[in-house]
Amino acid sequence: MTTDSAFAGDDPHRLLSRIGELAHGVRRAQRATWYPLLVLAAVIFAAIPVERYGHYAATCRALPDARVCVAYSTAAFVYWPAALVLAYIAIAGFYLRTSRARGVGTRVRSYVIAGIALTVAVTCAALYAAHNPLAAEHDILGLDVAAAPAGLFPRLASPACAIGLALLVLARVERNRALLVFALGDLAIVLVPVTFGWVMTQPWFFLPHLVIDGTVLLLGSIGFALAQRPARRVAP
Amino acid sequence: MTSTTGHPANGLNDIVHQRVRLGILAIAHEARRVEFSYLRTHLELSAGNLSQHLGVLEKAGLIAIEKGYAGKRPCTWITITRAGSAALTEEIAQLKLLISQVEHTGTPPD
Repeated sequence: MTTDSAFAGDDPHRLLSRIGELAHGVRRAQRATWYPLLVLAAVIFAAIPVERYGHYAATCRALPDARVCVAYSTAAFVYWPAALVLAYIAIAGFYLRTSRARGVGTRVRSYVIAGIALTVAVTCAALYAAHNPLAAEHDILGLDVAAAPAGLFPRLASPACAIGLALLVLARVERNRALLVFALGDLAIVLVPVTFGWVMTQPWFFLPHLVIDGTVLLLGSIGFALAQRPARRVAP
Repeated sequence: MTSTTGHPANGLNDIVHQRVRLGILAIAHEARRVEFSYLRTHLELSAGNLSQHLGVLEKAGLIAIEKGYAGKRPCTWITITRAGSAALTEEIAQLKLLISQVEHTGTPPD
């Protein structure tokens, strides 16, 4: 059946280790982690003028003994979904071009679908929260809002959180442990309430989070670009 | 071609249990779609030799070969079939079984 079966000299250990090496080589050739991180950092930094100069509105809800109001940027509701969907389309295009140049297929589709789905979900959640201010005693799916750390729920429904969650999917499809650690670290940073004492009534209250999230992604992009540089040189 | 009874070596598929073809399947499985030139470079084969192995795998229904263009450059893309993925999984399982048997008995397979 086969004219040149190479069983001789190919013991199972060596064959298995060779399979592992070849699979690892393909994974390295498929990775272009620096690009999504760079694009997403750019999206976050570009949100600064939108958040600062965009129109703000407020929705209030009357309670028996109080009034709960939530203020939100209307421009942000347009900017984030549009910018993130465009970013994911650009990322998909880059991965397709890169994979074609390197001669291997790409698994980026799951990441792009997850990224867009999370963007839509976060936008819907934020829109709901903006139009339905929650009372302190309110609960969401059995979770007591009042018992949660201050501001946790708005941060969970933030674009930065959607970016971090989608990066977990990218780490899975790229089978990239370094990216998994990075994405978990990014999510932890996103959920930490950093305000530097700036409250919502101040014009730049949003700045610390955007600058920190954007800088983390930018530094990650530089780090992955440097780490994956030899793999790109090896690829044909 | 494949028997799953007796010694694990008997369960090895003659087509798959060959260093180069196993490499082709391993790469195609991981990459989903791989270009001829990538296989040639990473398996360190001549175009003729690689074509021969691809022919064997294609005839056995383990891979599909598609010719086309990437821009103006002619390209040959190799995709692993479902049968190819199953054969690779089975081969890896048999190799692991062989290793565990050798480690338990302390004797290499015949």
